[in-house]
Amino acid sequence: MKLILPPGMSAAQFERALAAMARIVGNDWVLRTDADRETYLDQYAPGLEESHAPSAAIAPANVEQVQAVLRVANEHRLPLWPISRGKNFGYGGAAPRMPGTAMLDLGRMDRIIEVNEQLGYCIVEPGVGFFDLYEYLKERRIPLQMGIPGNGWGSVVGNALERGFSGMGDHSGNICGLELVLPTGELVRTGMGAMADGKAWPLFKHGFGPSWDQMIVQGNYAVVTKLCLWMRPADEASITIDVKLDKPEDLEWYVAATTPLRLRGVIDGLVRVTSYQASATVPTLRSEWYQGRDSIPEDVIGRIMQRFNVGWWNGPIRLQGYADVCEANLARVQSALARYSSKEFEVRRGPGDNQPGPSTYPLQMVNWYGGRGGHIGYSPVMPADPKLVQRQFERTRRRYQEFGLDYSGTFYIDGRAATNVNLILYSKDDAEQKERVRKLFLALIEDAKAEGYGEYRTHLSYMDDVAASYDFNGHALLKLNEKVKDTLDPNGILAPGRNGIWPQRYRAQRGRL
Amino acid sequence: MSRLVRAVAFACLAASSLAAAPAFAAEAASSAAAPAPAATPALIERGRAAFTHRCSMCHREGGTGTFILARRLGAEQSLIEKRTNLAPEYIRYVVRWGLVNMPRISRVELPDPDLEAVVAYLSAPRAGP
Repeated sequence: MKLILPPGMSAAQFERALAAMARIVGNDWVLRTDADRETYLDQYAPGLEESHAPSAAIAPANVEQVQAVLRVANEHRLPLWPISRGKNFGYGGAAPRMPGTAMLDLGRMDRIIEVNEQLGYCIVEPGVGFFDLYEYLKERRIPLQMGIPGNGWGSVVGNALERGFSGMGDHSGNICGLELVLPTGELVRTGMGAMADGKAWPLFKHGFGPSWDQMIVQGNYAVVTKLCLWMRPADEASITIDVKLDKPEDLEWYVAATTPLRLRGVIDGLVRVTSYQASATVPTLRSEWYQGRDSIPEDVIGRIMQRFNVGWWNGPIRLQGYADVCEANLARVQSALARYSSKEFEVRRGPGDNQPGPSTYPLQMVNWYGGRGGHIGYSPVMPADPKLVQRQFERTRRRYQEFGLDYSGTFYIDGRAATNVNLILYSKDDAEQKERVRKLFLALIEDAKAEGYGEYRTHLSYMDDVAASYDFNGHALLKLNEKVKDTLDPNGILAPGRNGIWPQRYRAQRGRL
Repeated sequence: MSRLVRAVAFACLAASSLAAAPAFAAEAASSAAAPAPAATPALIERGRAAFTHRCSMCHREGGTGTFILARRLGAEQSLIEKRTNLAPEYIRYVVRWGLVNMPRISRVELPDPDLEAVVAYLSAPRAGP
């Protein structure tokens, strides 16, 4: 792949910067061959991979090297894009927002520093994957549970910092203390870790004064080198209620039935409800069902539901905790569902630790169209109001049909808010289809904006569009974010453009792809 | 020739022949050396461990790589630890450049010495999990 340099940087400056980096991390850990650069491209790129092409990668081994790398990056004005393990598939993978940015690959920093069974937390470095932490717990028989996202290949730290979530909720909400390297190289610990010998660093979120953990999440103000994450003690028992809803319009009553239960803690986790399509995209190819270039028609939907014995909407409700409490909560759930439906949903009882471990199995959904595939997700956050949720679904599905794409949606109900993850699958080698994907995505941003909903997380190529939709008082929040950015990162070397936050040095790059 | 066409051509070649593809060797990863490394028991064991740590989440029973390979090449070719037709060059190429839906693997995730150990493991006679 052709080398793309950072904007405004000459080849000679770039060479001097990499030579200085090699003196810190060693020649072996400055990666700059064609193959090296390609390994950091967006595997699922919805547009041109080159739009987010890195120039090189630098892989430090420890915190001291991270500090030194950032100081040298300032000296040479080399922009860096930190990644933990680079598996942010659907949102850009490892790739940087601005072409020419060099990767700061933290994958070598992969220590599980502490797992505390008594108080329920772990302290990990960015290179620790979900498989690593899961194996660590199993090998040592540590009775703690971790939230695991659909793609278990990724980093525990990276996922939490992107606001990834699972049935156990928003993983960033479990962050309790960070170790940071600021863009200018200073080392900081947040919360109670700000004390030289702070014993409550992983235990109390706020410390004294402003709380910085959530300032760092989805931002570009610092490199996270350690993260303290709360974990859930193992449960005594679990009950799963296999909810299958026959019709698209059943979504409304289901939200009405479950939201109060989630709000009151009867359901102790996100209420997830997913459209029928999720059952087909992983184990089958689209061509087995339908050859048309329009959205899958109703009769095919019926065949998919029949073959996989699923409803139009599906969502197991999982209750977990003490066995007697689970039984009491089950009665509450069944009573709430019975108010709206005479259908009997299957109930399964099991041990508390019967959750599946990490997996990459869901990734094969990108093979839906055959050949090289990809996906992106459009995920606005909205009120968990039954009528609004139903309307959001219907409007979004009409948009998929308008652009000839297969609807695949999930709502995660968290009591007050609902996050609507709309999965868009495509073939990477079908330029016409990818153009329809682009138009659909922009239409969904506009639609949601008109309703007062905004996305919680997005792909690199749409970060500026989504940031622009947060427009109260002339984009006052974005201006504040960029004021902070310019103060902490005066040379704009850290992750320029991440989530729409551009440093002064590269602000002209906003919106460019 | 586009990368996609090149990769698919390479995949077909490797699936049908024991021979490496000299025409592609120069385009493979920077660490490429045509033959498999000398397969000492220690190197093979290192390769097995690296495979378990870095590859098995997709390429053992029930993994997404196994599933997609079965779809493309048939069940008998789907578990790569049981394959005997994977040329060293082909393994290196696929790891570093990816193939169809398999992402490219960086030298941070699988450093060159570990890749060579994986090559030795997968090239060893009767290699198995």
